[in-house]
Amino acid sequence: MAENEPKIISFLCNWCSYGAADLAGVSRMEYPSNIRVIRIPCTGRMSPKFILAGLNQGADAVWVSG
Amino acid sequence: MKNFLEHTGIEPGRLHFSWISSAESTKFVDVVKKITHEVKMLDPANKRYVKTEPKVD
Amino acid sequence: MKEYTEKIREIAKRLLNDGTVDMVIGFRKGTLPMMNQPHIATCTDSADELMWDSNCGLNLANYVTDRKEKIGIVAKGCDSRNLVTHVIENKIKRDQLYIIGIPCSGMIDHHKITAMFDTDITSVKESGESITISGNDFSKKLIKQDVLCENCAACTHRNPVEYDELVADLVEEQTDVDPYESVTEIESMDAEEKWNYFEDLISPCIRCYACRNACPLCYCPTCFVDESTPQWVGKSQDPIDVRTFHLLRAFHCAGRCTDCGACERVCPMGIKIREFTKKLNKDCLELYGWEAGLSLDERPPLDTFKTDDPDEFIK
Repeated sequence: MAENEPKIISFLCNWCSYGAADLAGVSRMEYPSNIRVIRIPCTGRMSPKFILAGLNQGADAVWVSG
Repeated sequence: MKNFLEHTGIEPGRLHFSWISSAESTKFVDVVKKITHEVKMLDPANKRYVKTEPKVD
Repeated sequence: MKEYTEKIREIAKRLLNDGTVDMVIGFRKGTLPMMNQPHIATCTDSADELMWDSNCGLNLANYVTDRKEKIGIVAKGCDSRNLVTHVIENKIKRDQLYIIGIPCSGMIDHHKITAMFDTDITSVKESGESITISGNDFSKKLIKQDVLCENCAACTHRNPVEYDELVADLVEEQTDVDPYESVTEIESMDAEEKWNYFEDLISPCIRCYACRNACPLCYCPTCFVDESTPQWVGKSQDPIDVRTFHLLRAFHCAGRCTDCGACERVCPMGIKIREFTKKLNKDCLELYGWEAGLSLDERPPLDTFKTDDPDEFIK
């Protein structure tokens, strides 16, 4: 692989960032394909367990967005 | 959480938080670009937290 | 310490006799030196077993969780802060408790003392500020101040914050100590050094979960380490699993830990577990000006929102 393509696990809130991601898609905006999106019902659903589980199963980074 | 993970030796760039409203698709794209860029800057060999097969001595 | 013991027995008997409480939770002499056991006295006879010395380092708040009875409880500074935390978290009602406050002068560290001698210690006697350790063929006098638990040596809340009765006059609080000295030291390391520091720290861990069981904060019906669907943390001794356990355990105590040192005290491998929780305590103090268990009226930082909360970490 020529370039380092990291995997970024993204936890997106259904009502905020997930909506933004959807809108970005509908508007045909381009963004890097390194993110792997997991939709959560609310950022309040987030738990430190998820972050550690993401990292120890091989993610390069974790992104939490509300 | 971020402070704490860094304290125990995980690099700062491996955990990100942000706040984007559902109308801010441009901000979403910007943040994705920025984070991807930052993570690419990190050395992939430093992924310390990955669980490997258990060692058998 | 003899006065403490007598006073505790006297109060306990009075409370049990006049029916103020159904039980008194305190300590009794353990079968091994430096290992006092928690004791629940339900009648005046068993109240005679209650005692107090410098080996009562376990946290008794652990034994009141979800109880329905009226409870008298012997509490030093840290126990009382944990009782306050319990009340705030609705694990017990304040009017169920009759807190017998102990102004505390610190507990002695049995790990330190055991490490000083090669052979078994058969008795540890205490008088005033000195401690006499003896075994089969030796006897040595130590100054209590030198063998205090690390958290006691740097404790700034020796007097109980919440109590119904005191067994003695309040002691003077220490002001010239820095509980976060080692945290500051670790903060100055780079990521790799930090990683290696904690790798060394937890390498002896045998995952016995004694630290979790001794901790008054760990009262979840099912602990995350016992969950199997999904399984968040592996049950092996893999260094990553061990680290995940310690990180999550510590994080669950964020903003709640009173640095009572029960976790370190019970660790069979002598791991300095407080290195994890201390960092979180320091962050809570710096970011939110919060120390756990000091007031019954204030909510802890992680379950409230204030407009002036620091948010530099959010983009």
